[in-house]
Amino acid sequence: MAAFLDVAGAEKRFGSTTVLGGVDLAVARGEFISLLGPSGCGKTTLLRMVAGLLAPDRGRIVLDGRDLTTTPPHRRDVSVVFQSYALFPHLTVAENVAFGLKARRRPAAEVAATVARFLGLVQMAGFADRPIRALSGGQQQRVAVARALAVQPKVMLLDEPFSALDRKLRETMQIDLKRLLRELGTTSVFVTHDQDEALTMSDRIAVMNRGAIEQFADPVTIYRRPATAFALGFVGLSSRFDGTVTASEGGIITVATPAGSLRAPGRFLPGSPVVLGIRPERMALGDGADGPDRNGLDATLVEVAFQGARAHLYLAVGGGTVVTVEAPEVPAGAAPGAPVRLSFAVADMLAYPADPDPALLAAAA
Amino acid sequence: MRRRIDPVALLALPAAAYLLFAYGWPLAALLVRSVHGPGGFSLAPFAAFLSDPFSWRVIGNTLSTAGLTTLVCLAVGYPAALALAWSRGIVQVVLLLSIILPLSVGVVVKAYAWQIVLRRDGIVSQALVGLGLWSEPQRLLFTETGLVIGAANVFLPFMILPIYSVIRLLDPRLRAAAATLGATPLHRFLRVTLPLTLPGIVSGIAFVFSLAVSMYVVPSLVIGDRYQTLATLTGRAFLFMRNEELGSTTAVLLLAMAVSIVVGSTALARRLGSTG
Repeated sequence: MAAFLDVAGAEKRFGSTTVLGGVDLAVARGEFISLLGPSGCGKTTLLRMVAGLLAPDRGRIVLDGRDLTTTPPHRRDVSVVFQSYALFPHLTVAENVAFGLKARRRPAAEVAATVARFLGLVQMAGFADRPIRALSGGQQQRVAVARALAVQPKVMLLDEPFSALDRKLRETMQIDLKRLLRELGTTSVFVTHDQDEALTMSDRIAVMNRGAIEQFADPVTIYRRPATAFALGFVGLSSRFDGTVTASEGGIITVATPAGSLRAPGRFLPGSPVVLGIRPERMALGDGADGPDRNGLDATLVEVAFQGARAHLYLAVGGGTVVTVEAPEVPAGAAPGAPVRLSFAVADMLAYPADPDPALLAAAA
Repeated sequence: MRRRIDPVALLALPAAAYLLFAYGWPLAALLVRSVHGPGGFSLAPFAAFLSDPFSWRVIGNTLSTAGLTTLVCLAVGYPAALALAWSRGIVQVVLLLSIILPLSVGVVVKAYAWQIVLRRDGIVSQALVGLGLWSEPQRLLFTETGLVIGAANVFLPFMILPIYSVIRLLDPRLRAAAATLGATPLHRFLRVTLPLTLPGIVSGIAFVFSLAVSMYVVPSLVIGDRYQTLATLTGRAFLFMRNEELGSTTAVLLLAMAVSIVVGSTALARRLGSTG
């Protein structure tokens, strides 16, 4: 598939800090992708570059076959929904939505029709003549989306547009926005530090860390097969074991960890420092009968977190490591201090080379 | 619900008491004198003043110098306020100092300086001749142009600072949003920056106009006695002519102008501010 939006080798430094270190990103027409990462990972810098609000030190940005690298923002056909919405406070709702159309000198009748259409699409038709300050956060967000979409941009950029909304409203708005963008076929780049948001909305997710994209894949792959220890730690819950490979045979490594000896799929030389991970729903409380394809650990129950549809159990294993197990419900007789046996499949383990960088360890923790 | 005075308002009590004593009392005396003739209450001084064509020329002089000074300050001050608000680091510090430091130079000193600068052999005249814009040296001193130039110099900070403080509070993302919506730099300025900084413009105009309408030192030193404004006439009436009736009449007219400017602009700024 030919890339509709193609960022190649984008690099940005501020002084001696590299904010973005030669990032490549290819987005297909009509695709919804997320840039997901912690603050300072370069995701907003990348978004501002695509919008033309920031010039890359090196690299190219091509949109629909046109090189935009040095094009000013107002000639790019790239809309932005800002985190703070950046609605014009001196204009009404309808005037805000009309702003981009008027800037493009569209005829008045067309402006009015387009404004009405997009206010309708975001369910704000009855608010056309209201001043901005009379709107709630959710309503302002809808107006910001309508304003950005009304110019029918080639790419829509969204900079954490949900972060100011409360959780319940956020989930409704996410679904609404995703459906709207799919119906309009708008290519979208969404910046977020919220992994749930990225998993819910995206066709593909670019997991970013320290100015680089660590993995760019669909949400299922990102969750099931994280490419790096950082991606594993940042997306979804996981338990983590640091250790050293003691044996490697037939694609299965045996790793000595403070919690005990564990096996995992992987090809590492004996003696290599590695990081092992596993998702909470892949672990279960066992009966001690571990098969050859399962790992087993003795553990002590530390805390139970009831979450409605499921429960999270926090268990202490050897070496001070605490692991998280997801259970369909709180087990009978579960009390802090109770000894339990953990069992999990070797095939469900994920293994990564240990990264010596303490910043990464902190980010993944 | 019973209305009560906000106790925080009491913090203004010392200042209010001082102003009442040092300013309100003499002002009241002045007001009374302007309408209290030998035969009791009378508007005759006003009628007499306003029926004299000379008075109308003085009022005209006052309004035109104040208006022109305000326009010059706005034209020069708005871009300066933008530069001040949008610059960074050392440039901003230098700009801010160059706007604030001149405030510490007394207005008399400045007026005398303009006397030198605006002379026939002064730097302005020589520069314009040197550039070929003037065929021969001319005197700007003792002209209305010279007065406006001098006054604009004295009052410029009072235009720049209110506008600057409004621009500084403007969310820079609004301009970024306008740009990504396809607005050219000019369109962004006219549709976003300018309307949102109107409250600053209004208060800058109010400051400069009310200062310029009542200025005394600058016209006295830069243009002299041939050109009278309400303020210089008031001064002359009290100091040289010993005509207290004329002096209080012109003073009250001046006061009425200043009050209506302040009240009007406050109302306007409040309305603009509520939509902004």
